Amino acid sequence: MQKKLKEKLWGTALLFLVLAMMVTACSNSGNNPPVNQGGGNGQPNNVESNSNANSDVDEEIKPEEGAKLVVWEAREQMPYMKQLAEAFEAEYGIPVTLEEVAGGDQGSRLATDGPSKLAGDVLTMPHDQIGLAVKAGLLLPNDLYEEETRNSMVDAAVKASSYDGVLYGYPKSVETYALFYNKDLVTDPPTTWEEIIAFANTYNDPKQNKYAIMWEFVGYYSYPFIGSFGGYVFGNENSDITDIGLNNDGTVEGFKFLQSLKPILPMNAGDVTYDVKAQLFQEGKLAFNIDGPWSIAAFKDQVNIGVVPLPKTPDGNPSTSFSGVKSYYVNSYSDYPIAARLFANFASNKENQLKNYEMTGAIPANIEAGEDPAIKNDPIISGFFEQFQYSIPMPSVSEINAVWEPLRAVFIAAWDDESKDVKQLLDQAVTTIKTDIDSK
Amino acid sequence: MQKKMGASILSILFMGVGQIYNRQFIKGLLLIGLHTAALYGILFHLMDYLKGLITLGTEPSRMAKVGKLTQLVAGDHSIFMMIDGLIALCALLVFLIIYVFNVRDAYLVGLLRDQGHTPNHFIHSLQTVNRKYFAYFILFVPAISVLFLSILPIIFSILLAFTNYADPILPPANLVDWVGFDNFVKMINLDVWSKTFGGVLSWTLIWAIIATLTTYVGGVFTAVLIQQPVIRFKKLWRTLLIVPFAIPSMISLLVMRNMFNNQFGPINNYLKNLGLEGLPWLTDPFWAKVTVIICNMWLGIPVTMILAIGVLTTIPRDLYEAAEVDGAGSLQKFRLITLPMVLFATAPVLIMQFAGNINSFNVIFLLTNGDPVNVNYQYAGHTDLLVTWLFKLALNQSQYSFASVIGIVIFVLVASFSIWSYRRTKSYKEEDMLS
Repeated sequence: MQKKLKEKLWGTALLFLVLAMMVTACSNSGNNPPVNQGGGNGQPNNVESNSNANSDVDEEIKPEEGAKLVVWEAREQMPYMKQLAEAFEAEYGIPVTLEEVAGGDQGSRLATDGPSKLAGDVLTMPHDQIGLAVKAGLLLPNDLYEEETRNSMVDAAVKASSYDGVLYGYPKSVETYALFYNKDLVTDPPTTWEEIIAFANTYNDPKQNKYAIMWEFVGYYSYPFIGSFGGYVFGNENSDITDIGLNNDGTVEGFKFLQSLKPILPMNAGDVTYDVKAQLFQEGKLAFNIDGPWSIAAFKDQVNIGVVPLPKTPDGNPSTSFSGVKSYYVNSYSDYPIAARLFANFASNKENQLKNYEMTGAIPANIEAGEDPAIKNDPIISGFFEQFQYSIPMPSVSEINAVWEPLRAVFIAAWDDESKDVKQLLDQAVTTIKTDIDSK
Repeated sequence: MQKKMGASILSILFMGVGQIYNRQFIKGLLLIGLHTAALYGILFHLMDYLKGLITLGTEPSRMAKVGKLTQLVAGDHSIFMMIDGLIALCALLVFLIIYVFNVRDAYLVGLLRDQGHTPNHFIHSLQTVNRKYFAYFILFVPAISVLFLSILPIIFSILLAFTNYADPILPPANLVDWVGFDNFVKMINLDVWSKTFGGVLSWTLIWAIIATLTTYVGGVFTAVLIQQPVIRFKKLWRTLLIVPFAIPSMISLLVMRNMFNNQFGPINNYLKNLGLEGLPWLTDPFWAKVTVIICNMWLGIPVTMILAIGVLTTIPRDLYEAAEVDGAGSLQKFRLITLPMVLFATAPVLIMQFAGNINSFNVIFLLTNGDPVNVNYQYAGHTDLLVTWLFKLALNQSQYSFASVIGIVIFVLVASFSIWSYRRTKSYKEEDMLS
């Protein structure tokens, strides 16, 4: 018995040694008074540089000695990013390591990996994810190159990459959805909903699964039925969360118009899924498909596609779509914040945006790049670019998370049962959204 | 007498001193070293960690402008502090356990010396470990990893339910605080949450009961059918019916999602070709629930069927022969012989399946993703189970504290039901056969 105890003691003893080391080792991380996270060597992180700000400007902009950068990039952009990283190193002598992180995951990964010092110094995020990241203090503002960014990028892209009036992003590319059409079925692409309805009356054949047009009944794709008629999500360019415009007269009118389209798409909203829509379009049964540039690759080889802006409303206004802006952002926990800013700015300049367009088909956010003949003469991209002019960036305030689900529910309810009173449905949705926002 | 007391008191004063008093020098020195290291940790760091665990930080991170550049001034990260505090607590616990053992060891060796034995040398001790307690020695490593890698995270995720860690309170720029049972109270009292919670909870229970019963009954039924003496090609039928189980459920569910599409799915197309209306399989709240149950039967019946076939082959033939002699019909034979036997053997499995169905994430997430939407729910649809709702809350809405509350509810549900029902099964009460 006592031997057993003795031996037990041994194992635990060894173990505890390890533990004790752990305790003493990690004691250095948590409890010391917060130091400036400027990083190691030769970082001007002492506060004395505060006093002589303007004389030091040139001094400050120099990237850190011995800087090394880690950049997160999604798989589909990797080949382009490899070239870019090489070009950057050739120009500035700063080595760049690439890590593959899926586009949609970068925001959530940053929340955990940033403070743990495991995240990339520069990452790409769609602008609707920056609300949470900014609130948590994970992004450094675009302060050094602010003026340059504001002057060279499309206005919508600058707005989308800002939060509470502070610019954070270095715009990379813009995207919105537009009207894909099958050139074998449609010779002269329509510009208004009336023309689409007229076409549908001659073309639709539910027995054969032939339909003129389809779009998904989610807040993102169906926003034109709100935005084009004077409705909006949040007031003051989606920044004033106390003002919700989803039940104003404009939105009600838009929903009534939506219900009037039921005859040309006689099915439940839940049956129009992305898979169904894409398949029918590829099979040449669907003439028009409201979709984004991310689907070009899937359709290009199977269908003779063209892209035009969304059809105009009955009043002759262009349809307002939701757009997304992908930008580079600098991780606030970066060890080399200046070098990271330099890279983000370099990656978003005109030449590199054009290169990105060449290699991946990304639509530039840079004004001059957008006017480049290569873009102007691309029949598909130019359609998206034109629609982008009429678009409004998706809200980036995190309160938008309270909006998507109720909005989708209203779209589905209004579509599936045309007899429903849209005003009542919308009022109810707004009440739901308001209580949700207030409960936080 | 004195020796055991002396050694114990010395060991209580400082680990290892009692061992040295017992003439076990190397062990004593090792323990003294350990205690010194632990003392260092306790004196200089433990208080900080525990304070961090209690306060969850005092100074959030903020941005500061230095000239033209904005810099991060790192402050306290509440969530990291919570984890650090838990690690410190666990380490302290391990230390205390060692401490107790050290005192007992000193006492027992002292007792030996009182009885006139000489204490073991260090080499001897090591040899004994190698010879007799090797397994214990090896098991320490996994035990400690279990403590730090699985128990600690579970405690952490339970603790989250008692904080306000949810959008917009996101570290490091914000400090998370302890809020006690606030989230639980909100779940029940706040209209926004309680409506959804009640609805999702009741559907979860209904789903678990129906899903378990349908697969179980279906499985036993097919097994009995296949095992009937009149059925030929038994192997062929068995193989055919196991196929759904052999295909990864993820694939079959995604295929079914398209098959059940009302407008374009093959199922409704067949129905329409027969001149029927076709059903709104996935778009109507009631029919969507029926659809997930049907698909779950397809996935779950083969498992029960295999089990039941196994049990059926063990039932002695002479029971049936005796029953036939007594003039029992096939129904009676099934009711009085087959069913009790099968139930007896598979009752624990039935409970496991029920517990599994409460958390049947795959079926719901891949087939309907909780749709059709429910206007009255908070981030949940008509077919969402607690577990898929939890997933949506944590990953799409950053409502970590509420997700953790739901996690606790699920745990309590599954654990209490499983324990209660398992203790009532015949197989638990009696190891022998049916009485």
